[in-house]
Amino acid sequence: MYEKVFESTKQAQPAQSGDSWYYLVYMSTWDTFLAQSIWEWSRVFRDGTRVKFATTSGGYAMLARVKGFPAYWNQWTGKVHPAFEINGLPNPNEVLNPNWDIGYSLGPSTQVGKFIDDVNQVYLHQPNVNRIDLYDLENGQKAGEINHNAGEYFASLAWVQPGQVTGLCRTSGKVRIMDYLSSPRVLESGRIEPFKVAAYDSAFHLFFAIGTDHKARVYCREAWPAALSAPVFEPATVYGLKANRVKARLTGQDGEPCPDWWVHWELLGVGGNPPLGYLDRLVSKTDKEGWAKNFYFGPDDISAGQSRIRTWGVLY
Amino acid sequence: MSLWHVRTVAPCMEYIELGRACYPTTPPLWGPDGLIYNGHLITCPRHYKQTTNDVANFFYEPGNDWLVAHIILSTTYWPSWDVQRYEFSAEDGAWLNREEVLAKQAFIGIWGAAWTRDGTMGSFNKIYACRNSETAIREISWRTAEPVSGGWWVDSYTWTPKSIYSFAVVNRVDNHFAAIGSWTLDCWRHLGTAPERFGQLRLPNTLGYLAYESRNYCWVVTKDGVILKADYQVPRWEMISTVQNPTSDARNYYITYDTRRKRVVVFRWREDAADGACRNQLEFYYPMVEAGRLTEPVPVTSLRAGNRIILAAHLIGDAGEGVTPYTVEGELLEPVEGRLVTPFSGTELNGRVCFQYQAPDQACTETLRLKVTVEES
Repeated sequence: MYEKVFESTKQAQPAQSGDSWYYLVYMSTWDTFLAQSIWEWSRVFRDGTRVKFATTSGGYAMLARVKGFPAYWNQWTGKVHPAFEINGLPNPNEVLNPNWDIGYSLGPSTQVGKFIDDVNQVYLHQPNVNRIDLYDLENGQKAGEINHNAGEYFASLAWVQPGQVTGLCRTSGKVRIMDYLSSPRVLESGRIEPFKVAAYDSAFHLFFAIGTDHKARVYCREAWPAALSAPVFEPATVYGLKANRVKARLTGQDGEPCPDWWVHWELLGVGGNPPLGYLDRLVSKTDKEGWAKNFYFGPDDISAGQSRIRTWGVLY
Repeated sequence: MSLWHVRTVAPCMEYIELGRACYPTTPPLWGPDGLIYNGHLITCPRHYKQTTNDVANFFYEPGNDWLVAHIILSTTYWPSWDVQRYEFSAEDGAWLNREEVLAKQAFIGIWGAAWTRDGTMGSFNKIYACRNSETAIREISWRTAEPVSGGWWVDSYTWTPKSIYSFAVVNRVDNHFAAIGSWTLDCWRHLGTAPERFGQLRLPNTLGYLAYESRNYCWVVTKDGVILKADYQVPRWEMISTVQNPTSDARNYYITYDTRRKRVVVFRWREDAADGACRNQLEFYYPMVEAGRLTEPVPVTSLRAGNRIILAAHLIGDAGEGVTPYTVEGELLEPVEGRLVTPFSGTELNGRVCFQYQAPDQACTETLRLKVTVEES
């Protein structure tokens, strides 16, 4: 689970009763989010402030575009149009896919997000809940695929940085960050809470979601710790008069590593006896794989017995 | 970019009063006051002989430096309708021909108002309008809204694709033309030779009114009061904002651009008051920045002890557009445990301000208050 840094008290909800959000895309020039519902287009800010500025009209489905912009797919023509930077409305004068009309079965929907990279001429389509197909915009041919095994369609596919997108699952909250350009594969996995619509803030690298309770939630791209493993020796046999490497791993809810957290170490005796030997450090910081490392020095005489190593982390 | 609200004149006009106590119930067609059309207007609590039925045209007339509205009225008197030309000062919105209108002396005839609609100033300071009775766009008289004899005209229905418009701006200097049916601003060029529709802009809502600014720009107000500026020669949107306090009692909005003072004027057609009094109003705006609200600061980095934490907020106008340049001041409220590294921050083009906070090495709760001072309009 990614660390939630903000949850709004404001409710970002469409004005009309019965209306609900369909799409959400980060607009990098606005540094805020463009939300589309059945009847309105609004700007939604990170604190949950919502400002309606337009009424939707049929025929356009929103999808994310390279560099943190929305684009609009017209289901009748199969063309994808960019959005105006000023007001986010579709610009019918420009077409991002002049060489290949994206057919009805490949277009975006409220349940299945799509993504267009008109700079590198790639279109991302989800044929099933575990895979993304990469299409060449020049000719409409499939050029590659990413197996992400999320088990659910990504309701949002959003731009992260050049060559990377993130997929966000509405029901499970699963998140995948994927390379779609140089070597298509999953780079990072995580989770946020289930949501109604969500997007990726490519300026500050945040996940932004509006929940079914209409609250806005902001998650930074760092896993929140959920478990600290028991310390393990490496190698497993411990010797006296030697620096024995010992390590413990801090992980998130789904086993994702939690780097840069302090882990505290303490050596305890067993059965009322004082501890044998000593630890090199009382605190150590987790590395990028979530491992906190330390050394245990066995007793420098020939005494034998048992000691316990206790580890803990403080979450702030 | 946003709009700076300069002034509102409300109401900007009046109806003719009945001049006696209103009827407690709807009066008979024939009665002591003679033949009465539309008795609803003079049934208590209402006591006016007129009400706004439609605003046919609203434009800036540069020759006289007036704002002109051709308004169709429903009346209690014969023949149940009236069309008067209302002239307002472009400087302060004062109603210049009040006596004349209330004496029904500014009657312009039905044909101009009924067959011509949505006129706006165009090239050479002339007024151009679409027509209800034909597909042509014509130069019209600002006095009567009737086509000027021998005046300029084009027929968009003879172009490809055949088009019928309700609103148009005419740029005869560059042979450009932009027009709207309801949802889309169509941009045409090569007007004198082979007209070509070279671009379209989709509106955020159905159109209220369209106004000419210059050889490049036009202004749009939608039915719900969103104001946009477009460059119709590119074409592209240049800004988005809204009228101040868009209210649900607004029947429609009409926009024009005062080319002398470089500002936008909106005529808001509002529902009459309970007593039937006119509540239509004029609103003057400068295309400048005006801050509407400041969003809460939201942390955008991990909230960890000892970290340098960035918080972002936005200063925005009524349509959510970012406003700049303003300085937003930040202040940590007691008890303070960390340190605000950035005590003030200037807004960026999108209205964003960022503050840096140095968290202490232990867990704590802090409150950051943001403050911005906006000059009085």
